[in-house]
Amino acid sequence: MLKLSIFAICAALLAPAAGCSDNGNTQKDAPVIDAPLVDATPDASCFTNPQTHEEIINACTTAQKIVKPGKPPLLRPDGSLPPLP
Amino acid sequence: MPMVRTCALALMTLTGLVVLQPAAARAADCSTLPNPVYLQVGDTQLNLMKSLGRKLRDNAGNPVTLVFTTSGSCTNIEAMYTDVKVTGNMQYVPSTAEDAAWTTASATLTCSLPTGGQLTDITNSAVFNSACTSTPAPATVKLFQGPVQAYVMAVPKASSQTAITAEEAYFTFGFGAAGMVQPWIDEAQLFIRTVTKSTLLAWGANISVPAAKWKGMAFDKSTDVVSALQNSPTPEKAIGILGVEVYDKLRSTLTSLAFRAFKQYAAYYPDSTSTAFDKANVRDGHYTVWSPTIWMTRVNAGTGMANNPQAKYVIDVLLGLTVAPATNFDSINVVAGVGLVPDCAMKVTRTFEGGKLSLYSPTEPCGCKYDSAVATSTCTACTGPGQGTCSTGVCRHGFCEAR
Repeated sequence: MLKLSIFAICAALLAPAAGCSDNGNTQKDAPVIDAPLVDATPDASCFTNPQTHEEIINACTTAQKIVKPGKPPLLRPDGSLPPLP
Repeated sequence: MPMVRTCALALMTLTGLVVLQPAAARAADCSTLPNPVYLQVGDTQLNLMKSLGRKLRDNAGNPVTLVFTTSGSCTNIEAMYTDVKVTGNMQYVPSTAEDAAWTTASATLTCSLPTGGQLTDITNSAVFNSACTSTPAPATVKLFQGPVQAYVMAVPKASSQTAITAEEAYFTFGFGAAGMVQPWIDEAQLFIRTVTKSTLLAWGANISVPAAKWKGMAFDKSTDVVSALQNSPTPEKAIGILGVEVYDKLRSTLTSLAFRAFKQYAAYYPDSTSTAFDKANVRDGHYTVWSPTIWMTRVNAGTGMANNPQAKYVIDVLLGLTVAPATNFDSINVVAGVGLVPDCAMKVTRTFEGGKLSLYSPTEPCGCKYDSAVATSTCTACTGPGQGTCSTGVCRHGFCEAR
């Protein structure tokens, strides 16, 4: 837990250095580290030059964000949703 | 004894009349108000109606009275498409000359309609019309896309919850207790809206739960959801859906949850922080649960001109367009002040409810003015038409915009 916290703080501190800001001065097409990592999924990436829907909702920002770990119990292993009852 | 009883009855009747008379006197004939424009709007638009209503009553060059009632978005669309009249008492707000002490926190006044009801001049939907009906608007109805309305999931202040993901919301509201999403497993503590309401439709489109499939306690009014949240005996388990303009007035008792959309990496609030009012994440697409408000008015099918020019005037004011006579207030301040985002301040757009976002460049941007209305603007102030005193760009609403 302590390791995770230290890693999270480091990741947050390093984010600006990684060019993940809204100033548009950096040109990065690939996702870059932007926020504390909870796991090794793409959940911690952002886009500096968003064009598509998925890039827009994951664009780099200085706004407050909350990374919520865990998955609902009924979520399928592949991440898909079962049909509604 | 019978005499005493008779006298007592007479006294009670007289007292009743005296008490009732002022109330009856308050319900003025709507048609006698200055330039009445009749509206049927979503209940999330109440704050807008009160705020804009006051400004338009005080609009010296063209005083207009917004005479309105609230109902669900789908009901409002149907009323406009099929010429359903409104009946009963309507609401309006007094001018400053009539009641200088009135504020938007005060109650509205009521006025009465003629027997048989009144066709509305304007109806409003707070979702894309296609979310309610696949029927196209008749040739006698014209649609205008207005300010953007965001929606939140709110919890009582006593709740420790701060965020919800689209997947969690899918299971919570689509499966109810069977969804097993902690702590929202008590269906009596899921406070939702009925199926014609924009709040439910907008959320449903964003979490893939059709309106008819929602689990929870369905309320007709936003105020009922608010009351249920505020009075929940188990605040940790309580969650409700609200329009952001409703929530923004209730931040002392409720908390909005940050929302993580499908395929999004983190959850965000509508605003840049949980305490801001800037709607920054709505404007740039980090917060996805929003819809444009749609404003409809009756037009001549041949010319496309509004049947009631005052109705078109009101819509143009709402849209931030240039009107004649010019208003003595800036409508962007009014729109921003009630938690809505003018279309001209948006950086993203979509074409249907819950649809994918794309980048958006309004033809006449007003982002600087919007920033100044909700927080502070870093743009250069200016005066004059066209470029005005700006070194580059265009002077709009007192600020140098890029174009």
